[in-house]
Amino acid sequence: MTRIQGGLIDRNRPLSFRFDGRSYSGFEGDTLASALLANGVRLVGRSFKYHRPRGIFSAGSEEPNALVELREGARREPNTRATVVELYDGLVADSQNRIGSLEHDLLSVNDLFAPFFAAGFYYKTFMWPRAFWEKLYEPAIRRAAGLGSLSMLADPDAYDRGFQHPDLLVIGGGAAGLMAALTTGRAGASVLLADEDCRLGGRLLAEGGVIDDTPAADWVAGVVAELENLPNVRILTRTTVFGAYDHGVYGAVERVSDHLPEPGRKVRQTLWRISARHAILATGATERHIPFGDNDRPGIMLAGAMRAYVNRWAVTPQARAEDPVAIFTNNDDGHRTALALAARGVPLAGVIDTRSGVSSLGEYRTFAGATVTGTKGRKGLSAIELRHGGTSEWLNCGALGVSGGWNPNVHLASHHRGRPLWSDEKLAFVPDDNGPQGLLVAGAARGEGSTAEALADGARVALTALEALGISGTAPAIPVASEEPSAIEAFWHVPAKGRAWVDFQNDVTVKDIKLAHQENMRPVEHLKRWTTLGMATDQGKTANVTALAVMAELTGKTIPETGTTIFRPPYTPVSMGVLGGGDTGQRFRPRRLTPTHPWAEAQGAVFVEVGPWMRAQYFPRAGETHWRQTVDREARAVRASVGVCDVTTLGKIDVQGPDAGEFLNRIYANLMGTLKPGKVRYGLMLREDGIAYDDGTCACLAEGHYVVTTTTANAGLVYQRMEFARQCLWPELDVTLISTTDAWAQIAVAGPKSRELLSRIVDGFDMSNDAFPFMGCAELTVCGGLRARLFRISFSGELAYEIAVPARYGNALMERLMDTGKDLDVTAYGTEALGVLRIEKGHATANEINGQTTATMLGMDRMVSRKKDSIGAIMSRREGLSGDARRLVGFVPVDAGEPVVAGSHLVAPGDPVDMAHDQGWITSACYSPHVGSSIGLGYLVNGDSRLGQEFIAANPLEGQSVRVKAVSAHFVDPEGERLRD
Amino acid sequence: MTDLTPITALGDSVPRVHTAGGYTLRENADLALASLAVARGVAAPAPFGLGLPDAGGLAVGEGGRSAFWTAPDQWMIAAEGMAETDFAASLLAEVPGGRVTEQTDGWTAFEIASEDAAQIESLLERLVNLPAAATAPGRATRTGLEHMSVFVLRRTDSHVTIIGMRTLAASLWHALETAVDRLGGTQ
Amino acid sequence: MLIPHPLLGLRDAQEFTYLGDASLMARPDPDQPDAEAAFADYVFLRDNPAGVHRELWFHEQGDRSWLVVTRNTVTHEILGAELATDVARRGA
Repeated sequence: MTRIQGGLIDRNRPLSFRFDGRSYSGFEGDTLASALLANGVRLVGRSFKYHRPRGIFSAGSEEPNALVELREGARREPNTRATVVELYDGLVADSQNRIGSLEHDLLSVNDLFAPFFAAGFYYKTFMWPRAFWEKLYEPAIRRAAGLGSLSMLADPDAYDRGFQHPDLLVIGGGAAGLMAALTTGRAGASVLLADEDCRLGGRLLAEGGVIDDTPAADWVAGVVAELENLPNVRILTRTTVFGAYDHGVYGAVERVSDHLPEPGRKVRQTLWRISARHAILATGATERHIPFGDNDRPGIMLAGAMRAYVNRWAVTPQARAEDPVAIFTNNDDGHRTALALAARGVPLAGVIDTRSGVSSLGEYRTFAGATVTGTKGRKGLSAIELRHGGTSEWLNCGALGVSGGWNPNVHLASHHRGRPLWSDEKLAFVPDDNGPQGLLVAGAARGEGSTAEALADGARVALTALEALGISGTAPAIPVASEEPSAIEAFWHVPAKGRAWVDFQNDVTVKDIKLAHQENMRPVEHLKRWTTLGMATDQGKTANVTALAVMAELTGKTIPETGTTIFRPPYTPVSMGVLGGGDTGQRFRPRRLTPTHPWAEAQGAVFVEVGPWMRAQYFPRAGETHWRQTVDREARAVRASVGVCDVTTLGKIDVQGPDAGEFLNRIYANLMGTLKPGKVRYGLMLREDGIAYDDGTCACLAEGHYVVTTTTANAGLVYQRMEFARQCLWPELDVTLISTTDAWAQIAVAGPKSRELLSRIVDGFDMSNDAFPFMGCAELTVCGGLRARLFRISFSGELAYEIAVPARYGNALMERLMDTGKDLDVTAYGTEALGVLRIEKGHATANEINGQTTATMLGMDRMVSRKKDSIGAIMSRREGLSGDARRLVGFVPVDAGEPVVAGSHLVAPGDPVDMAHDQGWITSACYSPHVGSSIGLGYLVNGDSRLGQEFIAANPLEGQSVRVKAVSAHFVDPEGERLRD
Repeated sequence: MTDLTPITALGDSVPRVHTAGGYTLRENADLALASLAVARGVAAPAPFGLGLPDAGGLAVGEGGRSAFWTAPDQWMIAAEGMAETDFAASLLAEVPGGRVTEQTDGWTAFEIASEDAAQIESLLERLVNLPAAATAPGRATRTGLEHMSVFVLRRTDSHVTIIGMRTLAASLWHALETAVDRLGGTQ
Repeated sequence: MLIPHPLLGLRDAQEFTYLGDASLMARPDPDQPDAEAAFADYVFLRDNPAGVHRELWFHEQGDRSWLVVTRNTVTHEILGAELATDVARRGA
């Protein structure tokens, strides 16, 4: 145990947890990492490629090493950084990327083969034989080189989303962020302050310094209390702003209940989409390390992390309290860690400083002009080799803190590709003013890293933001913080014979960078992909700048000449669950239900998804064992008596205005403006390029008042195109468009007895053929005064109507029709029978009007009026389209027992089945109870003059080949007498 | 009167109500709706004495009638308790020759009442991506909610009406119910 | 992305659907002798500028207005938006 006094943990709330099956205890306020350290656990994982023993390297979200599988069962989450996992009672975590125990990982044999796993290893090694890749190499690599494993169970948790629109988003609640929020909050701006940690304060919590003569943590508490009292300030802790998007939009994830054993009634996480007029990036800085030989042993960590562990969590970094701790640094900040450790009674082996002529800042030994050149300790550090004054010596120590300077966390400032600038003075990349519009950077994130600088900078940048927002603010008194020495001298890595790790998570060493250099993978983007540097889940937060410096040294260029890597969202890993939102399965997307859905459900209908709609596909009855039996019965009933079908899904657009007729003339290829009140006309719409687009009927309800019907699939798109025509092409036409698809429940009533059935429900309306002929429409009342619209149109080829009533009555109307028509054998039919009936009649739908076909192919070229202009008319006449010889015809199998298969291509008998001999294809097919065999529709070259000829319908994918005969597309009543009867 | 029995948008015989921690979510099956459009540049009429509002506005008149802007030269006129009447005809009588379209059953209205403004606002920020000004009392805005198109009518501090497409009523109800349960704490 | 709707203020781009180049508003005169060639250009040929671009967006989950949005395709900066019907009436 290495727990010491103090810290920001609650010793009255002990917590127990398990790691790799062993029980430990910690306190409220601990992270899993601090609790493991407090229990003397240093070995927490195995590295990605070499399975090297690894420990805790950092104290924050930049952690490359200490990745664990957190929780059990369906909630197991791999690759979780122990440094950001808040400890809770009963927490269970396991180490990952091992076979066997963590102590004796069988795959640590990989370490012996390290020479084979150098940069570009995958590209070089697994080239041959090609067939081995999928079956051998990839599975083996995936098992050996990897991270944690998924539970393979469905995620049991709920996720939420939300939207925020603050004047100002402050990202990061450390010294700079707190001052920025305070300054802007006091000025009355609406401020959203987000911080990834569970409590505000940032590095102030780790430094344990004094601000305005009070301990930093108390000063933070005072500021937080004031912010919480400002109604215009909102604080989101446990919230990572992970990406900066266009126009001031930011993405953030709030981990609502990741700190709890289970979310219970809460969601697990919330995705916030923040639209901020301005933002202040106050994300601080991340310490970098200095690579040296064997620098990856457990016990070696960032010096600043050691400071955080002793100050915030009251744990020391070594396994036993008596083990001395050493620091390796090129800057004053490393000495500050030594002071912090000494102040808490941790024995110090000394500070190894690369700078010559520096002296200790306190009571400890300093090796000036010295470097660390090697380490010992199989599963935890036991000694370091240091070289100074031309000699080497071994120094026993239980932990080593490494400080190579601090890299500003500029990530979000670069999310729009704006590259940071190199500062020779600060030896770091600092943000340029090329970041996202409205984003200002403050504090350590722009290299103003001392507490005093960050406090002042936060206030200063806040005033700039207020000015941009047009809000007047007052400069706050800047709190007084103690001086913090920060001198630094460039030193990037210690030359080593062995391996010196740069990127711990992806096992990339200095040698790998040298190899990439030798192999001419020198540009940064090549270096990254060749070595996989910075491509792990930590995105190289502790590695990238150091790697650049090493490459710069090899090429003899400066660091800025060598480049920077491009930062992309997300800043830290984001779970797929929260991006996807909470709703899965049936709730995955909104579903549109037709007005007769409750009735259809009660009938035991089988439903089919048609875009967002759920439509009744067919209505099985007792004794029917196959869907075909049901569909055949439904289709026969329509031909023999009467059937009813909900067709509400067809789009309905209300068109009104004095120029409505002229407008429709320009929308439809055929003449529509001549339509008289009380009449319906079939209409065809083209795309402007001349291809057929959509078809349906148009009804004229009154002078200057029409209802356009579209196909189900194109309802929204046709409306959009009509609005485009109205607003953008012909604004001079006085016309209004309103979509009314949902307002009316529309039921098709089809079959020879449809007139009789409907006469039973209309209120004194003359249904006779003379009074209400084919293609008539009327507004009337039914069932004792309910307003309705009646259209005499037919999709099946039978005498048929469509009746529309206000949607709330649709269900009752369907029940009434079924009830009233019992003696007429009225039969409900679904989309499947609907399809059979229209194929039998030779009506085109989306299979035929599929975006590649023309009016000419559909046999409708004469519909494209030459008396007027309309969308697509001009282009439909170009030779390529008007000269197309393919025509829509019908097909029957020569052997009535054979199927016709949609998608099959047609060739003449004896010809090879290839595109050179292609004669067309089958667009739709079904079994026709009317014909007594399978039938199909399809496009055939010169089809209209080849009726009676035989073809092979070939489906090479399935090895099918059926002899078919071309026939008229109208299998039913080709003269159209029934529907006019 | 017809002898057919209507059902609500959620498929029930009576409107659904759901309460959770201060929120009341209620299906309003009695709200009549009809749209009114005028030619471009024509002065807006004043049906039922309603002053038709500008973009984003909601006007409240006598007898449970209100109007909200839906598009340039277009408004939706709403009337409480009139869903069973031919409200489009009543509206047309107010504006002879006007372009009126019956909309009552094109939509479903869900009323959400809360204890205070803060409750409504924390609910709205989970539902719609709109700045506070667009959902302030007296504002009406069309936007997306869980991929569905809705009108958000902020009637008072503690009352908002969400109007969505009728055929999507079940999905919209689920979205609203889930949101009030999460915030109301009964889930 | 946020689009500055001329009537409704800044609205999230998710409320809109994109059509493309605003030149689609300039439908050729069908009565000209070279109408077919003019339509072929209109339908198939677009400029693809790296820089300022006028383009059509439809406020689908909003007021159903078509907007002409002027956007810099390199920086995504939006320089302005107006109702397409106003643009069309001006004959621009």
